[in-house]
Parts: sequence; structure tokens; C-alpha cells
Amino acid sequence: MNPFQLTEDQQDCLQELINVAMGQASDQLARYLDTFVYLKVPSIESVNADNLSRSIDQHQATVAVVSQGFFGYEGIRGEALLIYQDEDSERIADLLGYEPDELSQDEQLIDISSILTTTFLNVFASQIDNQMSYSAPKLLPSSQNSLSTHLEQMTFSWDLALKVNIHYQVTDYSFNCNMVLLIPETAINNIKVVLDRILEEF
Amino acid sequence: MSPSVLICDDSNMARKQVLKSLPEQWRDNVQTATNGAEALTILRGNTIDVLFLDLTMPGIDGVGVLQGIEKLNVNCNVFVISADIQPEMQSKVLNLGAKEFIRKPVKPDVLQNHLQEHGLL
Repeated sequence: MNPFQLTEDQQDCLQELINVAMGQASDQLARYLDTFVYLKVPSIESVNADNLSRSIDQHQATVAVVSQGFFGYEGIRGEALLIYQDEDSERIADLLGYEPDELSQDEQLIDISSILTTTFLNVFASQIDNQMSYSAPKLLPSSQNSLSTHLEQMTFSWDLALKVNIHYQVTDYSFNCNMVLLIPETAINNIKVVLDRILEEF
Repeated sequence: MSPSVLICDDSNMARKQVLKSLPEQWRDNVQTATNGAEALTILRGNTIDVLFLDLTMPGIDGVGVLQGIEKLNVNCNVFVISADIQPEMQSKVLNLGAKEFIRKPVKPDVLQNHLQEHGLL
């Protein structure tokens, strides 16, 4: 049971909107990297702020995180985190076929993250007749606790959030990344209104 | 007589979207499956003329269903309706015998045009 009390229909509707957005984001990634992206069913769960930073912090030493805020009409907003393992960020230059020094690894990570985030969220928004704006993507410093500090300093305060986790897996190169969307509780209430509006059509 | 139809998708909303996109006279003879294993069970025990098939599902996915259909050697018109629109996936399912790839969310006019193209309407 999730504390937002999404009904079964609301959860199903949200999941389907996410599937369509995920499909188009991976299509963009596949074209950008000229490869195939293997898709799994995304997970949707509720998290509280403490648990979240702890669960991601466990891998702190080995990950690169790019974070980007998004906000649309009707009070829909959140934060998108693109999470890479170290070995994956090191493979990026190979994947992109860049010469050394052509573009820094940080810039490459930000490029890929932006493609995934903006494609996903634009498609998600268009399905609910909304439109998203974005803050500049930010590569978090790889120091200890930078993610939890970042989460604490986000422009919206939250205790509970809906966490959508999408795994993008490039099979040819064993490159993986996770897209985690955090939607704070106030925005969830707004999304529920939108979901009900869509469900009324059925 | 309207053809027997099977809609396989793990999302209730997606199944309803397909159902609502069908020609009206088709809607009485429709079965549904919420995953690939259920779909294959139904395909084994029934004659299904048209299958509308999702790809990304837990357990046996849409590609698994297409491979299962090949093994079962059943004659069934499969229309894949998926959010996984990568060109490589589209050609993969067409090679596995699907008649068409239709992108989600499905629209009635698009779906019915495809049925017409394949002489089913």
C-alpha cells in the first residue's frame, strides 16, 4: 500500500503514461548511441526522504549522478536523477565514438542525461496536455554525501515522494543507467487529479 | 461473423484503449490476457483470429509470445501495439511474424486502417 493512496486505476494509468514516455526516451537514446536499448517494466513506489538518500548513498563512492528539476502547469513538478555506475560513465566515450578530449566525460554524461530526461518528460507531459520547463542539469560532485545534501537543498521541500525507477540497458556495450524521478507529495495530489481526468474517458 | 479477438497487455487502461479502438461489431467476441503466459494458454485452447499484443510485460513478454506462437504453429494475425518503438524492435517483431507494429497509445483510426490493409475489415 502506498501512502498516496493511488487507486489501482490511477496506478495503472500512471504506469502506462510512463511506459509510453520511457519507450520514446529509449528510442532517442538508441538513435544517439546507434544501438538497442533493452526495456523492463518500470517500478513506481513511495519513498521518504531519509530512506531515499540512504539507499542511494550506499553506492555513493561508485556513482555519477546528474540531477535536473522539472516543472509543468497544474503544480506538477519534481526532480529527475540519472544515476551511472563508474564503469558505465567510463564507457560513454567509447559508445559515442568520441576522441579523447573532444568532450569531457562530465559533458557526455550531461548530454545523455538531458536526452533521456527531456524526451521522457516532454512525452509524459504531452500525454496529459501539459508542458515542462527544466532547470539546468547539474552533475553532482562525487564527494561523500553530495546526493543527500543535494536532495535536502532541492527547491521544494518533501518528506514523501513518489519514486519512479526506470532502467535503461544498452545490451551491446553492457552500459546501464537508472533514471529516478522524484515527485513530491504535493505534486502527486495534482497528478491524481490529472489521472482521474484521463480515466474518466474510459 | 466477427473474428475472435485476444488483447494481451499488462495494463488495464491499455487493454481498454485497444477495445475502444476496435470496430463496434468486433467488441462482443474479445478475450483479454494480462501477460504473455496467459495469452499463450488462451492461444493453445482457442481459435484466435486477431491478437493485439503488448511487448514490455513482466514474465513472458511480447517477443516471447511471438516465439510461442511460432512453436505452437497456430494461425493468428498478430498486431503488436507497443511503447518500445525502436526500429530494431519493430523489425524484430515483424520478422517474428507480426503483421504490423502500432505505436502506443493506439488510436481507433490508425488501428482500423491497419485492419483494412490486411483485409480483416
